[in-house]
Amino acid sequence: MLRGRLLSVISARQMAMFGPEFKEPHFRKSELEELQKTGEISKIGHIPFKAAPSAATVSPLYDPLLEKFTNYVMRKGEKQLARDLMAKTLQSVKRIQVQKYNAAQTEEEKAEIEINAMKIFHKAVENCKPLLTLTPVKKGGATYQVPINITAEKASFTSMNWLIEAAKSPPKDARFYNKLAHELINAAAGTGKVIKRKQELHKQCEANRAYAHYRWG
Amino acid sequence: MRAGRHAPGYVARGKFADPWKIPFREMIPLKLRTSVSARGDNRNGAFCVQEMSVLLACMKKNEFEERHCSTQLTSFQKCVSETEAALKQKKAAARRGDLAPGEKKLSHHQVTGLLKKYPG
Repeated sequence: MLRGRLLSVISARQMAMFGPEFKEPHFRKSELEELQKTGEISKIGHIPFKAAPSAATVSPLYDPLLEKFTNYVMRKGEKQLARDLMAKTLQSVKRIQVQKYNAAQTEEEKAEIEINAMKIFHKAVENCKPLLTLTPVKKGGATYQVPINITAEKASFTSMNWLIEAAKSPPKDARFYNKLAHELINAAAGTGKVIKRKQELHKQCEANRAYAHYRWG
Repeated sequence: MRAGRHAPGYVARGKFADPWKIPFREMIPLKLRTSVSARGDNRNGAFCVQEMSVLLACMKKNEFEERHCSTQLTSFQKCVSETEAALKQKKAAARRGDLAPGEKKLSHHQVTGLLKKYPG
């Protein structure tokens, strides 16, 4: 009790750089305009804010989901490498789609092909999000895989992690960015390895639906 | 009052301590605490099982393509978000120690609050 109180006075988490009174920064122009429009900006004028992350920018090309994906691709803190890989991935997606577009014979065929790489990226991540997940629950000496709901954050992470894992999986016959580009295009079209993996999870959930009421033992 | 190897002082080999001669010392107060522990308090059962099984049945019927099950999915997600919000509210109320009249199952915060108010 006392410990909880003390911690809540000092900071939300031990080792936290900013205390709980610090709010998330608004660094995007659209966000600021929105705040100005609603009049929220006068309320938050005198409260402390966290420092904006070093990758934050007011550029219209900034995309929060792409930023998140880049951070998931990153290993050992090599952010520049991760950013280069993402740029090459999107370039590869664009090349493949433009090639398809140019190869298409009729106008109807051309109209169906999406050549915006960012749109394909967003759609791929959206399509790979699982709806349910399995969690192990120990009951009477046996461990059951119980289907439960999945939070939006967890679904988003799972989707991106599966895409990265699929691009890294053997055979290593192509570069990571080219494989990831193909995975993104396939996932956006509702086909491919990752969509299959999601459906496998849903099938397992369906098979274990009898355990659904076991949640938390 | 305990005899044997936990008795205070030295007992010679082959002898045993007479429990009536051991001076009594009150190590911890001989009364019940005015609080209860939090063990076994964080159990909440499954929720939205009905909605989940409806969703899974629909997905099985449509070969796991969820675009055919959007109504079932929205009803499941709505149920989950509503239940989670209600649980969160209930938990916060229990943490504050709010007491609803006629409540049967009390949280450890509520019981501790009552014991603090009416000790003895």
